Amino acid sequence: MPANLIKGDEVAESVRTEIVKELGRIYDETGLTPGLAVVLVGQNPASLSYVTNKEKQSKKLGFYSEVRRLPEDISQDDLFEVIEELNEDEKIHGFMVQLPLPDHLDERVILNAIDPEKDIDGTHPINMGKLFSDEEGFIACTAHSILHMIEHTTQPVYGKSAVLIGRSNIVGKPLALILLRRNASVTLCHSKTVGLADICREADILVAAAGQTGLVKGDWIKPGAIVIDVGVTQVGDRLVGDVDFDQAKEVASWISPVPGGVGPITITMLMWNALQAFKKHLES
Amino acid sequence: MAAKVISGKQVAEEIRGELKQKVAELKEKGIVPGLGVVLVGEDPASVSYVTSKAKGCEEIGLYEETIRLPADATEEEVLKTVDGLNKDPKISGILVQLPLPDHISVDRVIGYISPEKDVDGFHPVNLGKLLRGEPCPLPCTPHGVKQLLVRSGNDPAGKHVVVCGRSNIVGKPLAAILMQKAEGANAVVTVVHTGAKDISYYTKQADILVAAMGRPNAITADMVNEGTVVIDVGVNRVPDSSKKSGFRLAGDVDYEPVAEKASYITPVPGGVGPMTVTMLLYNTVEAAIWLNQS
Repeated sequence: MPANLIKGDEVAESVRTEIVKELGRIYDETGLTPGLAVVLVGQNPASLSYVTNKEKQSKKLGFYSEVRRLPEDISQDDLFEVIEELNEDEKIHGFMVQLPLPDHLDERVILNAIDPEKDIDGTHPINMGKLFSDEEGFIACTAHSILHMIEHTTQPVYGKSAVLIGRSNIVGKPLALILLRRNASVTLCHSKTVGLADICREADILVAAAGQTGLVKGDWIKPGAIVIDVGVTQVGDRLVGDVDFDQAKEVASWISPVPGGVGPITITMLMWNALQAFKKHLES
Repeated sequence: MAAKVISGKQVAEEIRGELKQKVAELKEKGIVPGLGVVLVGEDPASVSYVTSKAKGCEEIGLYEETIRLPADATEEEVLKTVDGLNKDPKISGILVQLPLPDHISVDRVIGYISPEKDVDGFHPVNLGKLLRGEPCPLPCTPHGVKQLLVRSGNDPAGKHVVVCGRSNIVGKPLAAILMQKAEGANAVVTVVHTGAKDISYYTKQADILVAAMGRPNAITADMVNEGTVVIDVGVNRVPDSSKKSGFRLAGDVDYEPVAEKASYITPVPGGVGPMTVTMLLYNTVEAAIWLNQS
């Protein structure tokens, strides 16, 4: 029996509905609207399209939204100043810096300058560090999206074996801690891991985030597994994932397609984090 | 096959020797690393830990200061003490001995320590840097495990490490250390815990098995494959009427039978234990160097 599809749009829509409801409730109670900003340096076409989507979606959901478009050759100090401004800006409750940054800018230093309370991308060390304990911080949007997709299947995570391929700061590493907290056993490996196929065959939940097209074959998948494909590689005019979808869908119980899987959710999770930032701000 | 024993005592001594030399060199430049310990209450285990930390400092030539507060000290008082140490130029490393009494928030106290002086490595900023693979003080026990592996010739690179137990002080940070694309790491890491139906399913896949569950004899010989490297982080008090104290220390591993199958194994006591304080000393020296540069 072919697998059920985990449709990113459906998952995103349910989160968006909740965001709109919350924003409405808060507006009725306080008359306040949360503000969100995106910092864009340069003209990278992929970044431009992300930023446009973010701006559109945030306005549609009812956020006050700003995009700071900065020249490609901006100095580190000037970029710092923009971040400092946004840290102080009372209209803005959360913001993010669109990556990648031009080579002359030190990404780590820039990201660490963001006020952790406004770090809706969830990549400031403090927010990453909070994943170790039960302290509440922001969760990186892609990892958070994957969690929502797994929850969308309504299959239990408790006691399950999760295998994550890829150890990036925005997917594998945070997701490992998130799934541990939900009582899965977690294995973190990468595309060059020896015996990767055998490790994958044991996964009840398999998350492929290696960025290598067709890496995961149908016979790597345990019958009945949940398969989340995070890979997005441009091949000609198509986007292709890490999983051989046609083979995998015959073995898995749930599978996410590419495109139309994780992609549409990540922006929504950014909005979700902005809502949480706003709520925290109202509490304090 | 009988396993080779990895002596934590010996490895710790080796590292302390290196530290002693480094401290002597620093002193010539007028830098004396200092450790400030905050002890709240008189929990006997905590008192004994704090004593061994003070001894370790003396051994390698560090300045050490233990501030003792009564068990009913308020959170405010503890924070004030931490603040004093944050500002004290004699102190390069601060350690708040855990556990704290229930009325004090551990998260708040740890979060109050200046990250540059957080030699336990538990400040969220430092844990986050650890996860991201950025330079930071590594939590002492997991760092000690890494050193035991590397210095016994069992580099985890490319190996499958199975960590049993997901505590905030051992399991999770150890996984975070060994999963990095970095020297002495680069392993495939699995973390299992009591939530798993069958832990032995995982432990049998391990090239390197780390037991950190805090349950005596939780890892038995049938759970371990021939040739596995076994690191036992457990320290459990097991009743023993033949001892004056009425107990003996036992690890999480059923030692004798597991040692028959393992290629390497750490004993309890004398395995991971001596490493923890040693890595704390290491972090204190590193912090002094760091503070002096910035």
